Amino acid sequence: MDNAIKLCHGNGGKDTMQLITDVFYKHFLNPILSQGLDAAVLEIGKERIAFTTDTFVVKPIFFPGGDIGKLSVCGTINDLVTVGAKPLYMSCGIIIEEGFDLELLKKITASMAETASLAGVKIVTGDTKVVEKGAVDQIFINTSGIGQIQDNYQVKKIHPGDQIIVTGTIAEHGTTIAIEQYKLKVKGNFRSDCTPLYEILKHLEDYMDHIKLMRDPTRGGIATTLNELAVHSGYGIRLLEKNIPIRKEVAAINELLGLDPLYIACEGRMLLVVDKDKSREILHCIQQVSNCRDAQIIGGFLTDRDPYVYIENSFGGRKIIKSLEGEMIPRIC
Amino acid sequence: MDENLISRMIEEINGLNKQETKIMEVCGTHTYAIGKYGIRSLLNPETQLLSGPGCPVCVTSESTIDAAIKILENDNVILTTFGDLVRVRGAYESILDQRIKSKTVKILYTPFEALEIAQNNKDKLVVFLAVGFETTAPVIASAIQLAQKKNILNIYFLCSLKLMPPVLKFILDQNRQHIHGMICPGHVAAVMGEEYFQFIEQEYDIPAVIAGFEAMDIIGAIYTVVQSRNNPGTKKFENLYRRSVRIHGNRIAKETMNEVFEVSSAEWRGIGYIQDSALTMKASYAQFDALKRFNIQLLPQPNRSQCMCKEILLGIKKPTACNMFGTGCIPEHPLGPCMISSEGACASYYRY
Repeated sequence: MDNAIKLCHGNGGKDTMQLITDVFYKHFLNPILSQGLDAAVLEIGKERIAFTTDTFVVKPIFFPGGDIGKLSVCGTINDLVTVGAKPLYMSCGIIIEEGFDLELLKKITASMAETASLAGVKIVTGDTKVVEKGAVDQIFINTSGIGQIQDNYQVKKIHPGDQIIVTGTIAEHGTTIAIEQYKLKVKGNFRSDCTPLYEILKHLEDYMDHIKLMRDPTRGGIATTLNELAVHSGYGIRLLEKNIPIRKEVAAINELLGLDPLYIACEGRMLLVVDKDKSREILHCIQQVSNCRDAQIIGGFLTDRDPYVYIENSFGGRKIIKSLEGEMIPRIC
Repeated sequence: MDENLISRMIEEINGLNKQETKIMEVCGTHTYAIGKYGIRSLLNPETQLLSGPGCPVCVTSESTIDAAIKILENDNVILTTFGDLVRVRGAYESILDQRIKSKTVKILYTPFEALEIAQNNKDKLVVFLAVGFETTAPVIASAIQLAQKKNILNIYFLCSLKLMPPVLKFILDQNRQHIHGMICPGHVAAVMGEEYFQFIEQEYDIPAVIAGFEAMDIIGAIYTVVQSRNNPGTKKFENLYRRSVRIHGNRIAKETMNEVFEVSSAEWRGIGYIQDSALTMKASYAQFDALKRFNIQLLPQPNRSQCMCKEILLGIKKPTACNMFGTGCIPEHPLGPCMISSEGACASYYRY
């Protein structure tokens, strides 16, 4: 059984990382890939270009706050933004199941076009494949994108004391999808946070020297991304539970579902690691951006060389937060 | 949440308790909450919390998982169950592993969804693998009654429902001196009544506190046990969950449960076979019994894994004393309850 690919290999957590290391890095390894960033940084002539790709298989394909089309554009744009790039051009590869409703395809395509246009991105090339019924589930989309790195932005080394900012409430996307997948009959304002993030970068122009790095915490949630950052930097991370922005409804549904919101995907949020002495200013600046009013400083890097992430609650209780392991399955007790 | 009060109580616990005090939180929901609130990290080393046998996923036997896997060998079966049970292995494989072999496994939140699935898939046999304790049993019983009332003929229940008092007696009979207090689950008491856990004090003279699942509830329970241990003569049995628990519990829930189930003996993973510790379906509901429909017998398995779960569960031995720890038994492939539960003694040890 251990020689077969399991669903957990695609959840963005420990198993995905293992697969990437054991298979993809082994065969593809080069200095650009091994940086392990959300987007590759390419030096072509005098230009520094960001390049990335992402594939979307979300079920259901339409959900409150978005659809697979919008998500596929946002996902790639946001990966480019995390390396300080202005997204410019995208490709769109679609695999469609035989029998798929043409009207739905039009709707998804229109949604992609609208999202790209709002973000100032052009979809300039594409590919279509149709496979027999059952070979894929409805529609899968791949997008790749390139962007121009702004003001020669460089990812910088993390130091103890550096602060971590999240740009809005967490777990909105994954919770919305879970409600749809488990067909929960709950009332409440549940919407995916799926949004292009370039707007944030524009506001932060003056602070780019103080931003160590940026990540978008999609699959595996902020817990998994922060664990990667701890390992990458070689320093531990302390999070303050009361500072982590989460809407009450979202927290309640996760409690009910037996899921931990720290592991639930965001699709319109960014984690930024910033210099401590500029962290308040940067936070204030981010909070001026629409959709980012709930941004908070959620914790910081420790001098401790053990790359653990722990969370501390309002009465001092501590708990270690690990990367997502295995498939995310509702806890029953 | 009153953080100041919580902090003050923790200070008092740590100030008061200067002798080794092992408190067993009986139930998996408490174990989870203790981990979530980081309560262990706040207590001094003298006050130790032992995770008890009340995590239904953890104590479900290998033979039950294997029975579910065997049922899935029939092509027209949809197996439904609760959450993280699918990750736990039987003798060789987990239910989740069966999905790779194109078997249909669905994770549900209530057994009533299984009834709906059965009604919408009349050409399939739908099996609900039910695990849980006295809290879950009335819900399963009521789903079985509804299936009978609606005459749904393609739904079957594979039940691994367990009872708390027999396993607690089993533990206390063997190792009373190692446990100085018990935190009893508020939700089980809400169904069965405050009186259900009184035997811990009456028969074993050990402090027992019924508690809810908020940080304040659990710290209040630890405080009560520590008070009682350090002040001989104080009351040993407390119900700190009066907002939900009555003396005799929930009459309707108990009646429903007794109508459908009868007491039987069963195997507990890592612990062994315990007399009268489980619920099985009465003959009048036999048509819904998956074991009968698929002609499977649950046979007690030898302790194949050679785990020391029993000793570790009781805090008599440390996880590292077990031959399987870290080699044959790791969080990704756990063998016993102490590794299956993320807050179990072995899983915590492995992590830190």
